Amino acid sequence: MKRIILLIFTAACLTGCLGNNTEPYYSVGYRPIYLSRSDIEKVVFTTPQPLKSPGKIYIKDGFLFVNEGGKGVHVFDNKDPVNPVKIAFYDIPGNVDIAIKGAILYADNGRDLLSIDVTNPREAKILNRLKDIFPNQEFPLNTGVSFECVDNSKGIVIGWEKVTSNSTNNNPSKFNCYR
Amino acid sequence: MKKIQLTIIILGVFFFQNCQQTADGISPSGNGTGGSLARFTLGDGTLYTVSNFDMNVFDVSTSPAVPNKLKTITLGFGAETIFPYKNMLFIGTTTGMKIFDNQNPTNPILLSTFTHIYSCDPVVVQGNYAYVTLRNGNACTRGQNSLDIVDIKDPKKPLLIKTFPMQNPHGLAVDGNNLFICEGNFGLKSFDITDPLKPIEREFIKDVISYDVIPNNKKLIVTGKNGIYQYDYSEPKTLKLISKISIE
Repeated sequence: MKRIILLIFTAACLTGCLGNNTEPYYSVGYRPIYLSRSDIEKVVFTTPQPLKSPGKIYIKDGFLFVNEGGKGVHVFDNKDPVNPVKIAFYDIPGNVDIAIKGAILYADNGRDLLSIDVTNPREAKILNRLKDIFPNQEFPLNTGVSFECVDNSKGIVIGWEKVTSNSTNNNPSKFNCYR
Repeated sequence: MKKIQLTIIILGVFFFQNCQQTADGISPSGNGTGGSLARFTLGDGTLYTVSNFDMNVFDVSTSPAVPNKLKTITLGFGAETIFPYKNMLFIGTTTGMKIFDNQNPTNPILLSTFTHIYSCDPVVVQGNYAYVTLRNGNACTRGQNSLDIVDIKDPKKPLLIKTFPMQNPHGLAVDGNNLFICEGNFGLKSFDITDPLKPIEREFIKDVISYDVIPNNKKLIVTGKNGIYQYDYSEPKTLKLISKISIE
Protein backbone atom coordinates (compact mmCIF):
# COMPACT_ATOMS: atom_id res chain seq x y z
CA MET A 1 0.00 0.00 0.00
CA LYS A 2 2.76 2.37 1.04
CA ARG A 3 4.56 1.66 -2.20
CA ILE A 4 1.52 2.51 -4.25
CA ILE A 5 1.11 5.80 -2.41
CA LEU A 6 4.78 6.53 -2.91
CA LEU A 7 4.46 5.73 -6.59
CA ILE A 8 1.42 7.98 -7.04
CA PHE A 9 3.19 10.72 -5.09
CA THR A 10 6.32 10.45 -7.22
CA ALA A 11 4.25 10.46 -10.38
CA ALA A 12 2.38 13.53 -9.18
CA CYS A 13 5.67 15.24 -8.44
CA LEU A 14 7.12 14.37 -11.80
CA THR A 15 4.11 15.63 -13.73
CA GLY A 16 4.20 18.76 -11.58
CA CYS A 17 7.84 19.25 -12.43
CA LEU A 18 7.56 18.46 -16.10
CA GLY A 19 4.25 20.11 -16.79
CA ASN A 20 4.77 23.78 -16.26
CA ASN A 21 8.25 24.55 -17.39
CA THR A 22 7.27 26.75 -20.27
CA GLU A 23 5.06 29.19 -18.39
CA PRO A 24 6.03 30.99 -15.20
CA TYR A 25 4.03 29.85 -12.20
CA TYR A 26 3.09 31.95 -9.23
CA SER A 27 2.29 30.82 -5.77
CA VAL A 28 1.77 32.51 -2.46
CA GLY A 29 3.17 31.06 0.71
CA TYR A 30 5.12 31.74 3.84
CA ARG A 31 8.86 31.87 4.25
CA PRO A 32 10.57 31.57 7.63
CA ILE A 33 12.63 34.53 8.81
CA TYR A 34 15.81 33.16 10.33
CA LEU A 35 18.24 34.71 12.76
CA SER A 36 21.54 33.22 13.79
CA ARG A 37 22.10 32.50 17.45
CA SER A 38 24.55 35.38 17.74
CA ASP A 39 21.98 37.78 16.24
CA ILE A 40 19.25 36.46 18.54
CA GLU A 41 21.45 37.25 21.51
CA LYS A 42 21.94 40.88 20.44
CA VAL A 43 19.56 42.25 23.06
CA VAL A 44 19.83 46.03 23.50
CA PHE A 45 18.10 48.32 25.99
CA THR A 46 17.68 51.58 24.20
CA THR A 47 15.85 54.90 23.93
CA PRO A 48 12.19 54.96 22.82
CA GLN A 49 11.55 53.68 19.31
CA PRO A 50 8.58 54.24 17.00
CA LEU A 51 5.53 52.09 17.77
CA LYS A 52 4.80 50.29 14.52
CA SER A 53 3.14 46.97 15.12
CA PRO A 54 1.61 46.81 18.62
CA GLY A 55 1.29 43.31 20.03
CA LYS A 56 0.50 41.99 23.48
CA ILE A 57 0.28 44.31 26.47
CA TYR A 58 1.34 43.97 30.11
CA ILE A 59 1.15 46.27 33.14
CA LYS A 60 2.88 46.65 36.47
CA ASP A 61 3.17 49.51 38.96
CA GLY A 62 1.95 52.16 36.53
CA PHE A 63 4.18 51.03 33.68
CA LEU A 64 2.79 49.70 30.43
CA PHE A 65 4.74 47.25 28.28
CA VAL A 66 3.76 46.83 24.63
CA ASN A 67 5.24 44.14 22.45
CA GLU A 68 6.47 45.27 19.06
CA GLY A 69 5.68 42.34 16.74
CA GLY A 70 8.61 39.96 17.18
CA LYS A 71 11.12 42.74 17.82
CA GLY A 72 10.96 43.74 21.44
CA VAL A 73 9.12 45.74 24.06
CA HIS A 74 8.11 49.41 24.27
CA VAL A 75 7.98 50.74 27.83
CA PHE A 76 5.59 53.53 28.82
CA ASP A 77 5.26 55.38 32.08
CA ASN A 78 1.47 55.12 32.36
CA LYS A 79 0.91 56.50 35.85
CA ASP A 80 -1.17 59.16 34.18
CA PRO A 81 -3.14 57.17 31.57
CA VAL A 82 -4.29 60.43 29.99
CA ASN A 83 -0.71 61.11 29.12
CA PRO A 84 1.37 57.92 28.72
CA VAL A 85 5.05 58.68 28.19
CA LYS A 86 7.30 56.40 26.17
CA ILE A 87 10.49 55.89 28.18
CA ALA A 88 12.44 53.00 26.67
CA PHE A 89 12.63 50.21 24.14
CA TYR A 90 13.99 46.75 24.82
CA ASP A 91 15.28 45.37 21.55
CA ILE A 92 14.71 41.61 22.00
CA PRO A 93 14.78 39.72 18.67
CA GLY A 94 11.87 37.31 18.29
CA ASN A 95 10.07 38.53 21.42
CA VAL A 96 6.32 37.96 21.69
CA ASP A 97 5.52 37.37 25.36
CA ILE A 98 6.51 38.78 28.73
CA ALA A 99 5.58 38.42 32.40
CA ILE A 100 6.86 40.41 35.38
CA LYS A 101 7.41 39.06 38.87
CA GLY A 102 8.57 41.74 41.29
CA ALA A 103 11.10 43.72 39.28
CA ILE A 104 12.11 40.81 37.06
CA LEU A 105 10.76 40.69 33.54
CA TYR A 106 10.71 37.31 31.78
CA ALA A 107 10.80 37.49 28.01
CA ASP A 108 11.09 35.00 25.18
CA ASN A 109 14.01 35.72 22.89
CA GLY A 110 13.89 33.26 20.04
CA ARG A 111 14.18 29.88 21.74
CA ASP A 112 15.60 31.38 24.94
CA LEU A 113 14.01 32.68 28.12
CA LEU A 114 15.54 35.91 29.46
CA SER A 115 15.35 37.33 32.97
CA ILE A 116 15.69 41.11 32.93
CA ASP A 117 16.03 43.44 35.91
CA VAL A 118 13.54 46.30 35.41
CA THR A 119 13.81 47.88 38.87
CA ASN A 120 14.58 51.03 36.92
CA PRO A 121 12.76 50.38 33.64
CA ARG A 122 14.86 53.05 31.93
CA GLU A 123 18.01 51.09 32.68
CA ALA A 124 17.14 47.45 32.29
CA LYS A 125 19.79 44.75 32.69
CA ILE A 126 19.93 41.12 31.64
CA LEU A 127 20.21 38.85 34.65
CA ASN A 128 20.06 35.47 33.01
CA ARG A 129 19.55 33.57 29.75
CA LEU A 130 18.09 30.06 29.69
CA LYS A 131 18.93 28.60 26.31
CA ASP A 132 16.72 26.48 24.06
CA ILE A 133 13.68 26.47 26.33
CA PHE A 134 11.18 26.98 23.54
CA PRO A 135 10.84 24.86 20.41
CA ASN A 136 11.87 26.35 17.08
CA GLN A 137 8.79 27.49 15.20
CA GLU A 138 8.07 24.78 12.70
CA PHE A 139 5.13 26.36 10.91
CA PRO A 140 3.38 29.71 10.52
CA LEU A 141 0.40 30.46 12.76
CA ASN A 142 -1.97 30.29 9.84
CA THR A 143 -3.45 27.00 8.79
CA GLY A 144 -4.39 25.96 5.30
CA VAL A 145 -1.26 27.57 3.89
CA SER A 146 1.81 26.47 2.01
CA PHE A 147 5.20 27.36 3.37
CA GLU A 148 8.87 26.72 3.03
CA CYS A 149 9.83 23.89 5.39
CA VAL A 150 12.00 25.02 8.27
CA ASP A 151 15.67 24.18 7.93
CA ASN A 152 17.03 24.20 11.47
CA SER A 153 20.58 24.56 10.20
CA LYS A 154 19.71 28.05 8.90
CA GLY A 155 19.10 29.41 12.38
CA ILE A 156 16.24 30.26 14.69
CA VAL A 157 12.86 31.17 13.21
CA ILE A 158 11.66 34.50 14.57
CA GLY A 159 8.74 35.02 12.24
CA TRP A 160 7.21 34.39 8.84
CA GLU A 161 6.83 36.54 5.78
CA LYS A 162 4.15 36.09 3.18
CA VAL A 163 5.81 35.92 -0.21
CA THR A 164 4.76 35.46 -3.79
CA SER A 165 7.09 33.16 -5.56
CA ASN A 166 7.32 32.62 -9.28
CA SER A 167 9.49 30.41 -11.35
CA THR A 168 11.14 33.37 -13.06
CA ASN A 169 12.63 34.60 -9.78
CA ASN A 170 16.30 33.95 -9.38
CA ASN A 171 15.63 32.46 -6.02
CA PRO A 172 12.09 31.16 -5.95
CA SER A 173 10.71 29.95 -2.65
CA LYS A 174 9.81 26.30 -2.53
CA PHE A 175 6.63 25.93 -0.52
CA ASN A 176 7.32 22.31 0.22
CA CYS A 177 5.33 22.15 3.43
CA TYR A 178 1.62 22.53 4.04
CA ARG A 179 -0.44 22.91 7.15
CA MET B 1 3.91 55.55 74.07
CA LYS B 2 7.44 56.12 72.77
CA LYS B 3 7.37 52.67 71.26
CA ILE B 4 4.23 53.55 69.33
CA GLN B 5 5.79 56.79 68.09
CA LEU B 6 8.89 54.92 66.97
CA THR B 7 6.74 52.33 65.20
CA ILE B 8 4.84 55.09 63.41
CA ILE B 9 8.11 56.72 62.32
CA ILE B 10 9.52 53.42 61.08
CA LEU B 11 6.28 52.63 59.25
CA GLY B 12 6.30 56.12 57.80
CA VAL B 13 9.84 55.76 56.50
CA PHE B 14 8.96 52.32 55.13
CA PHE B 15 5.91 53.65 53.26
CA PHE B 16 7.84 56.65 52.02
CA GLN B 17 10.51 54.38 50.60
CA ASN B 18 7.89 52.14 49.07
CA CYS B 19 6.17 55.12 47.48
CA GLN B 20 9.45 56.36 46.13
CA GLN B 21 10.18 53.00 44.62
CA THR B 22 6.87 52.75 42.83
CA ALA B 23 7.08 56.38 41.77
CA ASP B 24 10.45 55.90 40.11
CA GLY B 25 10.51 52.29 39.08
CA ILE B 26 9.12 48.84 39.56
CA SER B 27 8.50 47.40 43.00
CA PRO B 28 10.32 44.20 43.94
CA SER B 29 7.03 42.65 45.09
CA GLY B 30 3.86 41.54 43.36
CA ASN B 31 3.12 40.17 39.92
CA GLY B 32 2.15 42.18 36.86
CA THR B 33 -0.97 41.68 34.77
CA GLY B 34 -1.20 40.54 31.18
CA GLY B 35 -4.00 40.39 28.65
CA SER B 36 -6.10 37.38 27.68
CA LEU B 37 -3.76 36.50 24.81
CA ALA B 38 -0.77 35.99 27.14
CA ARG B 39 1.24 32.80 26.83
CA PHE B 40 3.26 33.55 29.98
CA THR B 41 1.74 33.79 33.42
CA LEU B 42 2.86 33.69 37.03
CA GLY B 43 1.67 31.55 39.90
CA ASP B 44 2.73 31.68 43.50
CA GLY B 45 6.48 31.32 42.98
CA THR B 46 6.08 29.76 39.55
CA LEU B 47 6.28 30.90 35.95
CA TYR B 48 4.19 29.09 33.34
CA THR B 49 4.84 29.37 29.64
CA VAL B 50 2.78 27.71 26.93
CA SER B 51 4.01 27.08 23.43
CA ASN B 52 2.41 25.13 20.60
CA PHE B 53 2.35 21.73 22.22
CA ASP B 54 3.20 22.07 25.86
CA MET B 55 3.43 24.03 29.07
CA ASN B 56 6.68 24.62 30.92
CA VAL B 57 6.64 25.05 34.69
CA PHE B 58 9.49 27.02 36.27
CA ASP B 59 10.25 27.55 39.92
CA VAL B 60 10.97 31.26 40.47
CA SER B 61 10.46 31.32 44.23
CA THR B 62 13.99 30.82 45.48
CA SER B 63 16.02 32.49 42.75
CA PRO B 64 13.64 34.51 40.55
CA ALA B 65 16.51 35.75 38.38
CA VAL B 66 17.32 32.19 37.33
CA PRO B 67 14.10 30.26 36.67
CA ASN B 68 14.47 26.59 37.40
CA LYS B 69 12.60 24.46 34.87
CA LEU B 70 10.71 21.82 36.80
CA LYS B 71 8.65 20.09 34.16
CA THR B 72 7.05 20.14 30.76
CA ILE B 73 3.41 19.16 30.48
CA THR B 74 2.14 18.05 27.08
CA LEU B 75 -1.03 19.90 26.10
CA GLY B 76 -1.65 18.55 22.64
CA PHE B 77 -1.93 20.70 19.61
CA GLY B 78 -2.43 24.43 19.44
CA ALA B 79 -2.04 25.84 22.96
CA GLU B 80 -2.34 29.60 22.66
CA THR B 81 -3.22 31.37 25.89
CA ILE B 82 -3.02 30.89 29.65
CA PHE B 83 -5.20 32.61 32.24
CA PRO B 84 -4.76 32.14 35.99
CA TYR B 85 -7.86 32.28 38.23
CA LYS B 86 -7.84 31.38 41.91
CA ASN B 87 -6.15 27.97 42.14
CA MET B 88 -6.62 27.15 38.51
CA LEU B 89 -5.03 27.69 35.13
CA PHE B 90 -7.23 28.04 32.06
CA ILE B 91 -5.48 27.24 28.83
CA GLY B 92 -7.00 28.23 25.52
CA THR B 93 -6.11 25.91 22.68
CA THR B 94 -7.29 25.67 19.10
CA THR B 95 -9.46 22.71 20.05
CA GLY B 96 -10.82 23.84 23.37
CA MET B 97 -10.13 24.90 26.93
CA LYS B 98 -8.07 22.96 29.40
CA ILE B 99 -8.46 23.51 33.14
CA PHE B 100 -5.56 22.71 35.47
CA ASP B 101 -5.61 22.67 39.24
CA ASN B 102 -2.50 24.46 40.48
CA GLN B 103 -3.07 24.42 44.22
CA ASN B 104 0.37 22.96 44.24
CA PRO B 105 1.85 25.56 41.87
CA THR B 106 4.81 23.39 40.92
CA ASN B 107 2.60 20.49 39.91
CA PRO B 108 -0.46 21.54 37.88
CA ILE B 109 -2.95 18.72 37.41
CA LEU B 110 -5.33 18.50 34.46
CA LEU B 111 -8.93 18.61 35.67
CA SER B 112 -10.79 18.71 32.39
CA THR B 113 -10.80 19.55 28.72
CA PHE B 114 -13.72 21.43 27.24
CA THR B 115 -13.73 20.56 23.56
CA HIS B 116 -15.48 22.32 20.75
CA ILE B 117 -14.97 23.27 17.14
CA TYR B 118 -11.53 24.12 15.85
CA SER B 119 -11.09 27.82 16.58
CA CYS B 120 -8.80 30.30 18.24
CA ASP B 121 -9.93 30.87 21.74
CA PRO B 122 -8.63 32.93 24.60
CA VAL B 123 -10.48 32.53 27.89
CA VAL B 124 -11.13 34.69 30.96
CA VAL B 125 -12.86 33.66 34.15
CA GLN B 126 -14.98 35.29 36.84
CA GLY B 127 -16.90 33.51 39.57
CA ASN B 128 -18.44 30.32 38.25
CA TYR B 129 -18.16 31.20 34.59
CA ALA B 130 -15.52 31.13 31.92
CA TYR B 131 -15.92 33.40 28.90
CA VAL B 132 -14.31 31.95 25.80
CA THR B 133 -14.13 33.63 22.42
CA LEU B 134 -13.95 31.45 19.34
CA ARG B 135 -12.57 33.06 16.27
CA ASN B 136 -12.46 32.13 12.66
CA GLY B 137 -9.32 33.90 11.62
CA ASN B 138 -6.07 33.57 9.81
CA ALA B 139 -4.64 31.08 12.21
CA CYS B 140 -7.83 29.10 12.55
CA THR B 141 -9.62 28.97 9.25
CA ARG B 142 -12.09 26.27 10.16
CA GLY B 143 -13.55 27.99 13.18
CA GLN B 144 -16.63 29.92 14.08
CA ASN B 145 -17.07 33.39 15.56
CA SER B 146 -18.74 33.33 18.92
CA LEU B 147 -18.64 33.92 22.64
CA ASP B 148 -19.15 30.79 24.73
CA ILE B 149 -20.14 30.99 28.36
CA VAL B 150 -19.03 27.88 30.21
CA ASP B 151 -20.13 26.92 33.71
CA ILE B 152 -17.01 25.91 35.64
CA LYS B 153 -18.58 25.53 39.09
CA ASP B 154 -17.31 22.00 38.90
CA PRO B 155 -14.03 22.48 37.02
CA LYS B 156 -13.90 18.75 36.37
CA LYS B 157 -17.13 19.03 34.37
CA PRO B 158 -17.28 22.29 32.45
CA LEU B 159 -20.70 22.82 30.86
CA LEU B 160 -21.49 24.98 27.87
CA ILE B 161 -24.33 27.28 28.90
CA LYS B 162 -24.70 29.62 25.97
CA THR B 163 -23.18 30.66 22.69
CA PHE B 164 -23.53 34.16 21.29
CA PRO B 165 -22.54 34.98 17.72
CA MET B 166 -19.67 37.43 17.35
CA GLN B 167 -17.95 38.96 14.35
CA ASN B 168 -14.27 38.17 14.79
CA PRO B 169 -13.49 38.10 18.51
CA HIS B 170 -9.89 38.16 19.72
CA GLY B 171 -8.90 39.03 23.30
CA LEU B 172 -11.40 39.75 26.04
CA ALA B 173 -11.58 40.87 29.66
CA VAL B 174 -14.03 40.73 32.51
CA ASP B 175 -14.23 43.08 35.49
CA GLY B 176 -17.24 43.02 37.80
CA ASN B 177 -20.30 43.77 35.70
CA ASN B 178 -18.23 44.59 32.64
CA LEU B 179 -17.21 42.35 29.80
CA PHE B 180 -15.08 43.72 26.98
CA ILE B 181 -14.52 41.89 23.72
CA CYS B 182 -12.05 42.84 21.00
CA GLU B 183 -13.69 42.26 17.64
CA GLY B 184 -10.52 42.58 15.58
CA ASN B 185 -11.13 44.77 12.52
CA PHE B 186 -14.77 45.25 13.50
CA GLY B 187 -14.13 47.18 16.70
CA LEU B 188 -14.48 46.90 20.46
CA LYS B 189 -17.59 45.78 22.32
CA SER B 190 -18.63 46.49 25.88
CA PHE B 191 -21.26 44.36 27.64
CA ASP B 192 -23.17 44.53 30.89
CA ILE B 193 -22.93 41.16 32.63
CA THR B 194 -24.89 41.97 35.78
CA ASP B 195 -26.50 38.65 34.92
CA PRO B 196 -23.36 36.70 34.06
CA LEU B 197 -25.30 34.48 31.66
CA LYS B 198 -26.97 37.30 29.74
CA PRO B 199 -24.44 39.77 28.39
CA ILE B 200 -26.20 42.90 27.20
CA GLU B 201 -24.32 44.88 24.59
CA ARG B 202 -23.84 48.42 25.84
CA GLU B 203 -21.58 49.84 23.24
CA PHE B 204 -19.86 48.90 20.01
CA ILE B 205 -16.97 51.18 19.13
CA LYS B 206 -16.33 50.56 15.47
CA ASP B 207 -13.39 52.82 14.72
CA VAL B 208 -10.91 50.84 16.82
CA ILE B 209 -9.13 47.77 15.50
CA SER B 210 -8.67 45.83 18.72
CA TYR B 211 -6.80 42.64 19.63
CA ASP B 212 -6.54 42.54 23.40
CA VAL B 213 -7.52 44.44 26.55
CA ILE B 214 -6.47 44.85 30.16
CA PRO B 215 -8.92 46.41 32.64
CA ASN B 216 -7.14 48.23 35.43
CA ASN B 217 -8.69 50.53 38.00
CA LYS B 218 -11.68 51.43 35.77
CA LYS B 219 -9.31 52.18 32.92
CA LEU B 220 -9.24 49.90 29.92
CA ILE B 221 -6.03 49.49 27.94
CA VAL B 222 -6.66 48.30 24.39
CA THR B 223 -4.03 47.15 21.93
CA GLY B 224 -4.74 47.06 18.22
CA LYS B 225 -3.36 47.57 14.77
CA ASN B 226 -3.37 51.36 14.94
CA GLY B 227 -2.03 51.80 18.44
CA ILE B 228 -2.86 51.70 22.13
CA TYR B 229 -6.17 53.18 23.29
CA GLN B 230 -7.11 53.89 26.89
CA TYR B 231 -10.70 54.30 28.04
CA ASP B 232 -12.25 55.33 31.32
CA TYR B 233 -15.17 53.04 32.14
CA SER B 234 -16.17 54.41 35.54
CA GLU B 235 -19.43 55.27 33.72
CA PRO B 236 -19.66 51.93 31.92
CA LYS B 237 -22.52 52.96 29.64
CA THR B 238 -20.11 55.01 27.58
CA LEU B 239 -16.43 54.28 27.32
CA LYS B 240 -14.58 57.56 27.45
CA LEU B 241 -11.40 57.69 25.36
CA ILE B 242 -8.73 59.32 27.50
CA SER B 243 -5.63 58.75 25.38
CA LYS B 244 -4.32 57.14 22.25
CA ILE B 245 -0.76 56.15 21.45
CA SER B 246 -0.73 56.07 17.66
CA ILE B 247 1.51 53.93 15.55
CA GLU B 248 4.33 55.88 13.91
